[in-house]
Amino acid sequence: MMNHSTIAIKARAVNTMPVNTKPVKKTSSLFLKTALGTATLSKKFIAVAAAITFLGGCTAGGGEDNASLPNTTTTVATNYTGPAPTTADVQQFKLNVWDNLISENRCGSCHSTDGQTPTFVQSDDINTAYSVVNPLVDLASPGDSRLVTKVASGHNCWLSSNSACGDIMTAYITAWSGGSGSTTNAIVLQAPTLRDPGTSKTFPADASNFGATIHPILAANCASCHSDSAATPQAPFFASADLDVAYDAAKNKISLDNAENSRLVIRLRSEFHNCWSGVCGDDADELVTAIEAFSAGISTTAIDPNLVLSKALTLVGDGIVASGGGRYETNVIALYQFKTGSGNTAFDTSGVEPALDLTLTGDYSWVGGWGIEVPNGKAQGSTSNSKKLHDLITATGEYSIEAWVAPGNVTQEGPAGIISYSGGSSARNFTLGQTLYNYDALNRSSTTGANGEPAVSTADADEVLQATLQHVVVNYDPINGRQIYVNGTLRTTADPEAGGTLTGWDDSFALALGNEPSNDRVWQGNIRMVAIHNRVLTTDQITQNFNIGVGQRFYLLFSVAHLVNVPESYIIFEVSQFDSYSYLFNQPFFLSLDTSATIGNISVKGMRIGINGKEAIAGQSYSNLDITLNDTDYGESGQVMSPMGTIINLENGPISDQFFLTFELLGTHTNVFVEAIPPTPAPPGDLPAVSDIGVRTFAEINASMAAVTGVDPTTTAVATTYQTIMQQLPPVEDIDTFLSTHQMAVTQLAIRYCDELVEDSSLRDNFFGAGFGFEQDVANAYGSGDSAAKNQIVTQIFNKMIGLPDGSGNTLTSTIDLATVKAELIGPAGTNANNLFDRLTSACPTGCDSTRTKTIVKAMCASTLGSAAMLVQ
Amino acid sequence: MKLSRYSSPKGIGKKAPSAILLLLLSVLLSQPSYGGSREQAKRMHDRLAGVPPSETVLNNMETLVGSGDALGAAAVAMNNPTFYSVTLKNFVTPWTNEAQTVFADLNDYTATVIGIVRDDYDFRKILYDDILYVADPSLGLTPYSTTNNTHYEQIEAQNIDMTTDLVETTQSSVSNFPASAAAGVTTTRAAAKAFFIDGTNRAMFRFTLMNQLCTDLEPLKDVTRSSDRIRQDVSRSPGGDSRIFMNNCSGCHTGMDPLTQAFAYYDFAHDVTTDPEGNNGELVYNDVGAVDSVTGTQVQKKYHNNSDNFKPGYVTLDDRWDNYWRNGPNSLLGWDTGLPSGGNGAKSMGQELANSDAFASCQVEKVFKAVCLRPAVDATDRTQIDTMTTSFKSGYNLKQVFAESAVYCIGG
Repeated sequence: MMNHSTIAIKARAVNTMPVNTKPVKKTSSLFLKTALGTATLSKKFIAVAAAITFLGGCTAGGGEDNASLPNTTTTVATNYTGPAPTTADVQQFKLNVWDNLISENRCGSCHSTDGQTPTFVQSDDINTAYSVVNPLVDLASPGDSRLVTKVASGHNCWLSSNSACGDIMTAYITAWSGGSGSTTNAIVLQAPTLRDPGTSKTFPADASNFGATIHPILAANCASCHSDSAATPQAPFFASADLDVAYDAAKNKISLDNAENSRLVIRLRSEFHNCWSGVCGDDADELVTAIEAFSAGISTTAIDPNLVLSKALTLVGDGIVASGGGRYETNVIALYQFKTGSGNTAFDTSGVEPALDLTLTGDYSWVGGWGIEVPNGKAQGSTSNSKKLHDLITATGEYSIEAWVAPGNVTQEGPAGIISYSGGSSARNFTLGQTLYNYDALNRSSTTGANGEPAVSTADADEVLQATLQHVVVNYDPINGRQIYVNGTLRTTADPEAGGTLTGWDDSFALALGNEPSNDRVWQGNIRMVAIHNRVLTTDQITQNFNIGVGQRFYLLFSVAHLVNVPESYIIFEVSQFDSYSYLFNQPFFLSLDTSATIGNISVKGMRIGINGKEAIAGQSYSNLDITLNDTDYGESGQVMSPMGTIINLENGPISDQFFLTFELLGTHTNVFVEAIPPTPAPPGDLPAVSDIGVRTFAEINASMAAVTGVDPTTTAVATTYQTIMQQLPPVEDIDTFLSTHQMAVTQLAIRYCDELVEDSSLRDNFFGAGFGFEQDVANAYGSGDSAAKNQIVTQIFNKMIGLPDGSGNTLTSTIDLATVKAELIGPAGTNANNLFDRLTSACPTGCDSTRTKTIVKAMCASTLGSAAMLVQ
Repeated sequence: MKLSRYSSPKGIGKKAPSAILLLLLSVLLSQPSYGGSREQAKRMHDRLAGVPPSETVLNNMETLVGSGDALGAAAVAMNNPTFYSVTLKNFVTPWTNEAQTVFADLNDYTATVIGIVRDDYDFRKILYDDILYVADPSLGLTPYSTTNNTHYEQIEAQNIDMTTDLVETTQSSVSNFPASAAAGVTTTRAAAKAFFIDGTNRAMFRFTLMNQLCTDLEPLKDVTRSSDRIRQDVSRSPGGDSRIFMNNCSGCHTGMDPLTQAFAYYDFAHDVTTDPEGNNGELVYNDVGAVDSVTGTQVQKKYHNNSDNFKPGYVTLDDRWDNYWRNGPNSLLGWDTGLPSGGNGAKSMGQELANSDAFASCQVEKVFKAVCLRPAVDATDRTQIDTMTTSFKSGYNLKQVFAESAVYCIGG
């Protein structure tokens, strides 16, 4: 029976393995679906962990701070005069590693000929150096090379960021191995330390406890650098005199659950970083004591004893790195991964000299999971170092700008400068910018002006740019011109300016991220990675890099062996810090590290992710899981439990946050998830009293006028007027919203209806009765004084408009009476000198023909029809 | 103020309107006071039919009110064709367009609701039945079309009497989808034009929620539901800040996305270049056997839009819907526990919505406001709403709610 505690996951090999590397690990070809794409997993691989010669430092202790340090500030050229490389691989080693490390400001001052072992940069015989270095590198996984881990842990790093040194060393070794994308990334899954969940703690909001325990030590011993008031301030400012600033900076350096895991402690005990007493262990112990005292003052979050729980893990402490290879970077000439997480320098870790490091200025912050946010800031390189872009790109005549970005919004324009190699907003070599929902590519060539215009942009209608994390590539070559790929898909049409050359590029420009060097094209958003290649990326390469993703990913192995009858069984997630505020948990699968294990039938239902002693409130994408683990579906890659991922809120940071899983059902263990019944909401409060009456709305007005006058509302003139003024009529019944404009529309419609009524002899006779002289002049039609003719008109208007449409008299007591209406319409003068009839006939006999007669009827009709008698309901 | 393109009627000079306005205002200021059976009957008629009654009708209604049969009086008022062509038309029209404007043409959505009310059908049908109302073919109007609204525009323009000339048919008999895919008004052409056009079909769910359950998504936000059905197109880190998703976006999408999946086979096809508004567009449905070129299934490609926004998100494979709001705070919407909390397609999802307490109370609240011209303002009104909701649920007859509301707000 095989019973290995480690297995290997191997990223998909793009090219073949290089020859003459370290012993190739034999793996069986088993495939495991991960976010990385297809990876190979083997249970038969045993990690080679110990047989690597320890890479000693200049002193036995290896502490850079107490050692006689080499000068790493200047570059000293070294010419090799020894025997020629005996093989092509030795030659590759020399070109890509030895040449970069031999100088005095790298490793040459100690590890050269007759220097300290291992003499991997000895200069007398490159072939001997090659034999020395082989145990120190892992060409299958360059990032795991001892050369890398040593400098990445701070051993004489020539930069202010150890991770940047590690990345650059990785780049050297990667180049030796044949370029990125050609390597096999071996990932070893090791059984984590078993730990029960429930002892985690959450940082209190108040800093006073921190101020009484940890801060005094930091302030006394670290403030000369890690304080915002230091002569040369170095972030993080956990030793700041401002307690809140210090507390905020220290949180993600402290593990509340295990003080020894705190980054503050590790830096002292394991990395010998500026130990103040001269004995790093003592200093670490002092800090551990303080952190434990701080932690003791924080009550633990009690975990529900009824929960069915997996064992617990932390991301950084227990996670197994899942990322680290597979990107195509053969022709990368500048690379920014933003791993540093602090300070004001974004390091170029391409390994291509000179390093085009960028200085962060303005409003910026580092993003958790690698990246920077630039709300109103930028990262800019020097013009001298930026010149390498000019030199290396004009040499090939083509380039590719690749980035992972999350635009902060879809409203910025200019174009807002995401990545720009320019002299300002009016002259550039290239720019990737944003205009609303579009990415823009500008390139200066022999067929464009100095500003690289016109831009090639993604299509407006596609709205390709979204305010979310996206992979963007701008390719430029003379034949195709500019092409923009978003998330692996070409999103632009043919470049009208294709066919140019880059001979006109200006080598005095500077590379800037988040703005133009002239500061007048602010771009807001997150930048998670930038790579500049001096060859275009092919579609396959773009897809490959897109599928790899961005940021560091881990495998978390949640042990469930105590719950199911399967030895060394785990539910494994791929986990990463998604941004500064959350973790991504992705694609869980079940696996036993015991190759002889059988699964049987294990029901799994209602899986939830717990953090720091409680189930996460939001993001539970597996709570509806209902599957059976069984031997049929279980293979050497385990059994996929869900293809989905979810994000979980970050609480204390990747060092401290402790995760676990809960289950409603796992095997024979159950915990019925009972959801609280929501309380019945209180009755709503009373609203202000509102009017008991309202106005008719537009269609009701139209229908009412038709009903009252008898005019067909489909009559062309009426229908036309109604359609024209419809939206000027009241749209709602609320009488408080009635406006004068509404009344004007009512009047217009009333006039139209009355016009149709009076002009149609049949309708008017029906309405007003026979006998009125509509075709007579005013004098004959109306007579004089309080005449019968006038009263005939007014009475019928009153009966049918104030009363009911077919009314023979007003029988409603809620309306005004006939006398009032009569006074308004015809007076007589003795009753109301301002009556409508008298005013409309004041010029008579001039113009008082039969037309005027009908006009007066229409006016009396309309004034009543459009009144509140009709309008109010 | 622009008064519009208006041609003055013959003989009316500029002097007349200003003179008339004075009278109008004086009359308007004399607010009516109501009292007595006749005035109560008049108000009922005004509120229900939208127009003043004839003397004969009012006399009849007055008698009924006086004899204690106010509901009977309301029924008389609702016999007026304008109850359908004016009151109901305007009652329904805002539900049928995204702008929620009442100034829209009659369409198949509106006409179908009018027909269901007229024929005293169970009003829940509006969300799941294979039903459609068209003009009587004998009228010779342009026939119903799946690609335009001409038929209904003619009904309105010709003032067709909908008490008699609106006839019932089925959507499946005039459209390109089977009866099993017909889900009441949600699968009418007008609804599709408004809410299936472009986008991701979430609009159909949201507006159905707003119009038929009287709540937007905001009050229903619940981040504690499972996020397992939130599609890939929802960014988990808008602008690089996942807090926005965790605290806001997910609150709606956790419940909305698994319900909106019911519409996965529907789309509104139109030429985005020549017909961006979809005036000649058509509801399309991927029936059994249809394979979308992008999704490889019956699922419309719009369900896979922006799939790179969050690759580990949910990938829609079918039209399976589930109601996660059966539990948690949104259980207060009052779901029918006699129904399964999940299913396939818009029809069963429509039944889920239509059988909720919120659906019933929403209809009552809407009618109450339409008839009483105000919302419920105090405990008495709210009790009346509850009473009418109970009454409505006994047969889901919306005319009854109109009548009861008219009686409640009869004045006195």
